[in-house]
Amino acid sequence: MELPLPELPAFDYLHASSAQHALEQLGGSIARTRVLSGGTDLFVQMRAGSIAPTELIDLKHIPGLATIEFDENSGLTIGAAATMNAVARDPEVQANYPLLVRALETVASYQLRNRATIGGNLCNASPAADSAPSLLVLGSRLTLESVGGQRELALNDFFKGPGETALTPGEILTKISLPLAPTGWKGRYLKLGRNTSGDLAIVGVAVLGFPDPEPTSGFRFRIALASVAPTPIRVADAEELLETTTLSDESIEQAARIAQDLARPISDARASAEYRRAMVFELTAWALKDVRQMLEEEA
Amino acid sequence: MTEVERTVSAPSPVGESVKRIDAFEKATGAAPFADDLQFGPNLLYGRVVRSPHPHARILSLDVSKAAALPGVRAVVTGDNCDARFGLYLRDRYIFCRDKVRFVGDPVVGVVAISETIAEQACRLVEVEYEVLDPVVDPVRALDPGAPLLHENLADYEVADFIDPKPGTNIANHFKVRKGNVASAWDECEVIVEREFRVPIIQHVPIEPHVAVAELDRSGRYTLWSSSQSPFAQRNLIAQALELSQSDIRVIAPYVGGGFGSKAGLSAEGTAVVMAMSVPGHPVKVRLTREEEFFCAFVRQGLVAKTRVGANAQGEILAMKTEYYWDAGAYTEYGVNIARAAGYSSTGPYRIPNVEADSYCVYTNHPVGGPMRGFGMPEIHWGIEQIMDIVAEELEMDKVEFRLKNVLHGGEQNVTGMVMHPIGLSECIEKAARAINWGVDEPPSSPYARRSKGIAVSWKAPAMPPNAGSSATVRMNEDATVTVAVGGQEIGQGTFTVMAQMVAGVLGIPVDWVQISTPVDTKYSPYEWQTVASRLTWSMGNAVVAAAQDARRQILELAAEHWNEDIEHLDLRDGQVISYRSEEVLPLQNLVVYGLPLPDDQGWRGGPILGQGSFMPGYVTSLDNETGQGTRAVVHYTTGCQAVDLEVDTRTGKVKIHRIASAFDVGKAINPEQVEAQMQGGVVQGASTALFEQLIRHNGVPQNASFTDYRIATSVDIPDEIIPIIVEVPQDDGPWGARGVGEHPMIPTAPAIANAVSAATGVRIFDLPISAEKIYLEMQKERSG
Ligand SMILES: Cc1cc2nc3c(=O)[nH]c(=O)nc-3n(C[C@H](O)[C@H](O)[C@H](O)COP(=O)(O)OP(=O)(O)OC[C@H]3O[C@@H](n4cnc5c(N)ncnc54)[C@H](O)[C@@H]3O)c2cc1C
Repeated sequence: MELPLPELPAFDYLHASSAQHALEQLGGSIARTRVLSGGTDLFVQMRAGSIAPTELIDLKHIPGLATIEFDENSGLTIGAAATMNAVARDPEVQANYPLLVRALETVASYQLRNRATIGGNLCNASPAADSAPSLLVLGSRLTLESVGGQRELALNDFFKGPGETALTPGEILTKISLPLAPTGWKGRYLKLGRNTSGDLAIVGVAVLGFPDPEPTSGFRFRIALASVAPTPIRVADAEELLETTTLSDESIEQAARIAQDLARPISDARASAEYRRAMVFELTAWALKDVRQMLEEEA
Repeated sequence: MTEVERTVSAPSPVGESVKRIDAFEKATGAAPFADDLQFGPNLLYGRVVRSPHPHARILSLDVSKAAALPGVRAVVTGDNCDARFGLYLRDRYIFCRDKVRFVGDPVVGVVAISETIAEQACRLVEVEYEVLDPVVDPVRALDPGAPLLHENLADYEVADFIDPKPGTNIANHFKVRKGNVASAWDECEVIVEREFRVPIIQHVPIEPHVAVAELDRSGRYTLWSSSQSPFAQRNLIAQALELSQSDIRVIAPYVGGGFGSKAGLSAEGTAVVMAMSVPGHPVKVRLTREEEFFCAFVRQGLVAKTRVGANAQGEILAMKTEYYWDAGAYTEYGVNIARAAGYSSTGPYRIPNVEADSYCVYTNHPVGGPMRGFGMPEIHWGIEQIMDIVAEELEMDKVEFRLKNVLHGGEQNVTGMVMHPIGLSECIEKAARAINWGVDEPPSSPYARRSKGIAVSWKAPAMPPNAGSSATVRMNEDATVTVAVGGQEIGQGTFTVMAQMVAGVLGIPVDWVQISTPVDTKYSPYEWQTVASRLTWSMGNAVVAAAQDARRQILELAAEHWNEDIEHLDLRDGQVISYRSEEVLPLQNLVVYGLPLPDDQGWRGGPILGQGSFMPGYVTSLDNETGQGTRAVVHYTTGCQAVDLEVDTRTGKVKIHRIASAFDVGKAINPEQVEAQMQGGVVQGASTALFEQLIRHNGVPQNASFTDYRIATSVDIPDEIIPIIVEVPQDDGPWGARGVGEHPMIPTAPAIANAVSAATGVRIFDLPISAEKIYLEMQKERSG
């Protein structure tokens, strides 16, 4: 068992003044060079010795990289370096994406969220990333930049495995874009930790629902899960079931079963796979019932 | 001379909720802790190479690469210090010499100019091990074929009340044989037998261990450490280094939480041995948070097998218990925890027939040390659940069952000791009433099930019969007092309580009293240790004796001066007064300069210096075969907690609405501090009940960090904690006081388990009562 170092190992620190500057310095080796946002994952991993970069490029001070912009026609754009607290206290985010605010509020502690960024949360690609399920059901897209240029990607296509993303060496995440949320939507993020605050998720479930006359049920739903598979995942089959059948306790429980069957959790110090699977069912049903109630109250 | 105005006398500060005298310093960050002390440019840093194996023989060591690293000043190994030490059983070396016995066992120490270089050098040390089978279960450790941890147990020096069994892994076996258990079962209407498990947990003080050691040119050692027991540490270091106590000086500034982990010797020993090789240089050793989880002390795990029988009237007739303590690689305090568990094995119940076997068992786990409650939270986990089950089977109310069976003053307890007066029944009644016992209250949602649970407890200070305390009280010119003690302020408020006692005896305001800090074995009077909830009582007695000594000297001086009978004199409001002549003299100056004789004939008196010590003289030994004796302990503090909670059936999560916590403290010298102990105890108790465990896989810790070792945060604690103070005085306590520092976490876990069981029908036998366990057990019940 290798213990973490008593102190953070030495590294060269580069204060990037622009995305271009950062990208030029970044080069292609992520073993040697890493980008730094809040450092709340990076420093933990460096102390643990699981990564050993010798150079860190700080993105936090790049002008524009931490901006949060809302446009009534196109939606929300979050700079990759915006801290979770900055996002959560933005009035437009609070008014238009309360689901995201609730999800961010489940991360660690207020103090930590003063530093932690959504960009870092996504790029770290933990299966337990708490911002991911909500961003998934909100249909987020990512802007990735490299010296060669810029590309866009659906968040759904970004996660490749624990700690693995679609980022190629030399590429950074600059923006997270959320389309306008559907009219009349309601959402719920349920996170189960061992204790109430500060724990990583045993299971996280985000549900978003909105009225739509087209499907049988009169509603559309989106469901995403954290911490029960190698990456955060959407549960398309369950979403479909809820649209094609009349909404009832039975259909909700059936949808929750589908989510449970799709989950491929592991056993670890936090929980057994058995409990995680059960919790996918319970929390999905719980979140769906809450959302249904909110939708019905509105109707 | 002024008139005596008796009515304006300040009331005695004893019994008042006086503000903590260290509050301002601590709240502002001004209070110095060990890591804050400055040592100048000579300071070096030590890091330790630790065993990666739970059990292995050291075949060879190569430190040459480490020693050659620039910045490294010294490398030490087991060869640098070859005497065994231990509080009750001398079973360890500071650095391993032959074998390693747990993951984290110190093998090599490196001294360097920075922590980082020391750590780098540690990683260059090459150790060749022959890996041995580990012992990871305290019951299987007793199997005939089990690997032996200590082959030379027979050679170890041991205290006379500890009974190791050479050739086995048993470090101590304590027995109780009282009445006739075998024949008692026949008279029982109900017999319940269960097995309970308690995991290894850690104290998680906010301040990890910090120790700085220096060998000076005269060959003496100074150790600055975050310590609950500076004098015990001095003793242990003397043993390990084969020096005498006076060759070692331990200076202990404020402690950022100890809960037992900073008693005895752990990281401090490694600092001292490293300092040996760099005379004139202080060497600082700090445990990282991760090391803190398994390299210092942990709370021992426990497997408890218990059988209890009661007759149809609900009287408990017999109890048979086996305790298997998961002591870890070395025992330090563990052997005495096993002993305390044995002589307290019935809980505070009147049981005529008792058989108990408490085994302290070596395992290849982290070293079990003392932790708040010293074995009592562990044993009550089983005792208080099995009592609940017995009551259920008898179809008796659980409060009524306990009231019927708990001990009263004057009755014989498990070791044959006659109980002093106790207020346990009053505690039970008050705690139950405080949470509306017997009244069903609605849960917060249709998915939740709400109910109530109760548990009682007792605990005695577990210590050698002759653990002593001493104190001095020095008067200053301005009539303020400097009090020196060797007990430590570890957040429990002891310095404040001592100041209150001195002020009470000397008739001065509390803020005239200062406590000499830091505790320094060179200047502070002897104190056995700051453990066992013994300071208010034991150190309090010494402090009161010292203050009375000073008081007597002052009164004698005034009596001679006024030519009056000392009987008529008193100290009030900072003055000596005479109730007869109504003469008054302020204490200022006279307590140092004395008073002039009449007619310019000279002076009498002089600097007032009071001293006092205390040691209980009446604790007797217990019979080896039966565990019976006249007086096993100094006293028991008893109490009760009642819990009102609900369980969310969707997740198994527990939400505690309120916990009432009632303890008989004899006399609350400072009621607010007593209540603070009850609140802290409930929080720590609830945290260990719901979350805490050091997970190991084949002896290797799996969650040695806050990421996966969860403790309760402010949002996890009960919505309401109701402290209830009961005061049935202790005959030899200051103002009747007895200790209450550890007690409020003892009944918390079983009370919660009992409430969970009442709410869900599911009983959890192995701590912690995690949401996962409750949920999965409920699933099992549902599916039949
Ligand atoms: C005490 C504690 C509690 C925590 N609790 C939670 C929790 O409850 N839920 C949760 O989800 N997480 C939790 N975390 C993890 C962490 O705080 C979050 O993942 C956080 O969002 C990471 O963001 P950051 O800005 O600190 O990332 P950093 O640590 O700076 O970076 C993380 C990784 O992403 C890379 N990176 C960062 N920004 C970019 C970018 N713009 N482009 C490309 N790569 C980038 C870095 O190189 C690094 O590999 C916790 C961490 C700690 C220390």
